[in-house]
Amino acid sequence: MSAYILPVLFLLLIIYCIFKRINTYDSFVKGAKGAIKLVVDIFPFIASILIAVTLLRVSGITTFLTQILSPIFNFLGIPPELTELVLLRPFTGSGSYALLEDVLTTYGADSYISRCACVIMGCSETIFYVATVYFSQTKVKKLLYAIPVALLCSIVGTILACLLCRVM
Amino acid sequence: MTFLPTFSIKISMNIFWLMMMLSSTLVLLVTNPSEMLNEMIGAGADALELCIELCAVYVVWLGFIELVDASGLSKKLAKLLRPLIRKIFKINNEETEKIIALNISANMLGVGNAATPMGIRAMQALDDKSGRANFAMIMLLVINATSIQLLPTTVIGLRSNAGSANPADIILPTLIVTFTTTILGIILCHTIEHFRRKIKGGKRK
Repeated sequence: MSAYILPVLFLLLIIYCIFKRINTYDSFVKGAKGAIKLVVDIFPFIASILIAVTLLRVSGITTFLTQILSPIFNFLGIPPELTELVLLRPFTGSGSYALLEDVLTTYGADSYISRCACVIMGCSETIFYVATVYFSQTKVKKLLYAIPVALLCSIVGTILACLLCRVM
Repeated sequence: MTFLPTFSIKISMNIFWLMMMLSSTLVLLVTNPSEMLNEMIGAGADALELCIELCAVYVVWLGFIELVDASGLSKKLAKLLRPLIRKIFKINNEETEKIIALNISANMLGVGNAATPMGIRAMQALDDKSGRANFAMIMLLVINATSIQLLPTTVIGLRSNAGSANPADIILPTLIVTFTTTILGIILCHTIEHFRRKIKGGKRK
């Protein structure tokens, strides 16, 4: 069902453009022009955060943190099997999706742990990545309380997700 | 500010990056010094690959977004969301409201990659060049970070690939959590801003 949403929206958009007598080709090209410049502008920011995250993983610090945080997460109702996923989620999208696939194959797609992992992934974002990229083209150096609030919401969401999966 | 010390902590990406690099370099120095440079270059290659992928995604989305803009749909969308955006972000600028409306709509549709260019543009429009994030910028980041998507398509896809009997049964809990955290984020930002103003006002007297 959900596979139809975007194609239908595109179709409606194109029909609307015809109706409004817009030169669709010209407009599309005009928008598409921005893509390469955008990617060139954000590449150093993406590279820097990926380098830091990779080193953090290779050095074993994430494994160490996983071990320390597991009991705390368990206390909060988050299955210890998901500690690494929860920990990496704010930093890397591709990395956490790889972990999600691992969880799905290891524990079975319909197990409690897998459902928790899916809800956690569905309602969270790669906060540090988004922060780096979004602010990359501004003069902002101090994010004030943005990241603490985002992280707090993310933790509350994770706890709520694990709770809801128990009853739903 | 002495009353609420937590609010005076200036969190910057510089600190996070420094902490991550410092701690992992120290550990790697002891455990695996020879691999460090290779790993970093590998990460750079990953970033390049990701950027090429993103470029392909952006070329499609920026093209479609231009159609949305040229046809006047973005204006209509902004008009629809304006009362809400004005209240949440405390801004009053039609162009910026339009970009934020597009960013939020893309998020809701679950196409985060289409939301990114709009997010970057919105941050640029909101930037007051003071070097500090203002309220609207923080709000935009928090709303994006709590992921307000209506359909977690990627997750459902992965789940059905893994052989789930009912891959869509995570939609309802996901929606509940997403809405709760987004509302929590909005309330938290407004509360903190309220106290910050009070403290600033008190200082001036």
